[in-house]
Amino acid sequence: MLLNIIKRSFANQKKAMLLMIASVAVGTAMAASLITISLEISGKVSKELRSFGANILIEPRLEGLADISGQKRYLRQEDIVKSKTIFWRHNILGISPFLDTESEISVSGVKETVRLVGAWYEKGLPLPGEAKEFPAGIKTVSPWWYIEGQWPDQADKVVAGTSLAARLGIKKGDSLMIDGKGFVVSGILETGGNEDNELYMDLGHLQEFKNLSGRVSRVYVSALTTPMDKFAYKDPKTMSRPEYEKWYCTGYVTSIAKQLEEVFYGSRTKPIWQVAETEGKVLERLRLLIYFLCGIALAASALGVSTTMIMSLLRRIDEIGLMKATGADSSKIITIFVSEGFVIGTIGGLLGYALAIAAAQYIGMKVFNSAVEHKALLLPVAIGSALVISIAGTILPIRRALRIKPAVVLKGAG
Amino acid sequence: MSFVIVRDVIKEYETAHALRGVSLEVEKRQWLNMVGPSGSGKSTLLNIIGGLDSPSSGSVTIDSTGIDRLSEDDMARFRREKIGFIFQQSHLIPYLNAVENVMLAQYFHSMSDEKEAMEALARVGLSHRIYHRPSQLSGGEQQRVCIARALINSPSLLLADEPTGNLDRENTRVMLELLRKLHSEEHFTIILVTHDPFVSKWGQRIITMEDGRIIQDEPVHV
Repeated sequence: MLLNIIKRSFANQKKAMLLMIASVAVGTAMAASLITISLEISGKVSKELRSFGANILIEPRLEGLADISGQKRYLRQEDIVKSKTIFWRHNILGISPFLDTESEISVSGVKETVRLVGAWYEKGLPLPGEAKEFPAGIKTVSPWWYIEGQWPDQADKVVAGTSLAARLGIKKGDSLMIDGKGFVVSGILETGGNEDNELYMDLGHLQEFKNLSGRVSRVYVSALTTPMDKFAYKDPKTMSRPEYEKWYCTGYVTSIAKQLEEVFYGSRTKPIWQVAETEGKVLERLRLLIYFLCGIALAASALGVSTTMIMSLLRRIDEIGLMKATGADSSKIITIFVSEGFVIGTIGGLLGYALAIAAAQYIGMKVFNSAVEHKALLLPVAIGSALVISIAGTILPIRRALRIKPAVVLKGAG
Repeated sequence: MSFVIVRDVIKEYETAHALRGVSLEVEKRQWLNMVGPSGSGKSTLLNIIGGLDSPSSGSVTIDSTGIDRLSEDDMARFRREKIGFIFQQSHLIPYLNAVENVMLAQYFHSMSDEKEAMEALARVGLSHRIYHRPSQLSGGEQQRVCIARALINSPSLLLADEPTGNLDRENTRVMLELLRKLHSEEHFTIILVTHDPFVSKWGQRIITMEDGRIIQDEPVHV
């Protein structure tokens, strides 16, 4: 009988029902698409923020006598590929080793001691057992570096930082002497950082030139990370076993740094906090904004349903009065309205789901320039949101319906 | 003990007194007609007896239950167990057909049973109009659907407020004959409000109301 009442009631007030279904569908589509985006936003925004530069620095660990004496320590170049063996290996998007040395340069009779750094600009690293090479080098961690000219790919080529070049009057194509050996400037480097005062050459050639084969001074890593939360800041040494496992298996910048430290012999790793924290804050605020917008969309939609249902109720006052006179108690009246809300919610939810898929893809393409992965979770989220909207929208009409006095609405002469 | 006992019932509105201390007893299976001019308080008294309205003071007892002390939901439950209503305007749900309107009362009572609802419509002579909507039925037919709905849960009290108010004489007679037949078969108590002298003669007892009071109480002389 309840089914009949709802079916006939829907047929009797098609416009109102369609309006409520549309209201639910739009609200659901908004909320579900935003929720889908929020589920992927961490990865997408994190990827976008990778252009900010590396977020982990690996250095040689200085301890004991080496630390006191200031003796130079190095990392092993062979450990670089091991970064692709850690638990979070797929999150390592870029890696770039640097070898820092000092040399005396001589240009047009002027001599100066400068920092001569060896690095890769763009290098494919072969990974054991894999056909695909792992991209490494400056381009993977600092894509904004600008070279006017060419990266030195030969043993007698260097690039000069723009400030150093200006100070010493060096131009692209000039010759200079480094530690008594002749070099040609293949380009001028501009980064806006300390690099502008340094000379750069290919890592392998510098290792050979300085007799430091297989050695690097520091490694910058660009990794996709999970935003730092309160738990992530906890000192791993004070964690219980389950806490430590949870921390280790979550892609926090600290846990990825720890895992890198484990594969780089004699190393210590440091998150580059200004990058890592910015990512966390940006993501947190974006998420908050999304949830806030979701709440507004759901509330606006529920208000739409509620208003339309109240308008429809005003036309059904006699009907409700009659039902009460015929013996319907509060539970029966509530059941009728909630069931109507349930049907509106289910239909609106399915429509909203279809709209949400399209909206999420559109937003994904427009904002992040990539498709949003279709989540199985989206359907229950859409139906759930729609039911929340439609059931919440029935609260006010139900309250008004329960206050209807049959004697007043069915009043006869007397 | 009388089936319906009304004791010193007063009903006051902000600006008017609808009932000014009405007392009344109705025996089980009795057919009582209430007559009086408009505004005399007869519909108000009927609504109070049916629990659709509450008295400002006084008490109403039906089948030993003090209904003025019941909560709204308890009253709704009591109403669906014991009372059937027929209104002047044949209040039917416009988007449900005749049998569904009857089944609605069953649904509120317990469970709807289409076969039983169809039998009820057959008893009021509407077996050929079962699937017609109210808008497809005449005024007399609509009132007969209302009778079927009012009686489907076998109430012990039938309250009718101007049930023939919108009917012509022929349809009025048909409906009253039907009510008489059902009353004699099912033995429920009837309280019927009317201002039509023709209708008032069909019961067993007639009370006359004026200005919120019962001014006359007499048996019907046929």
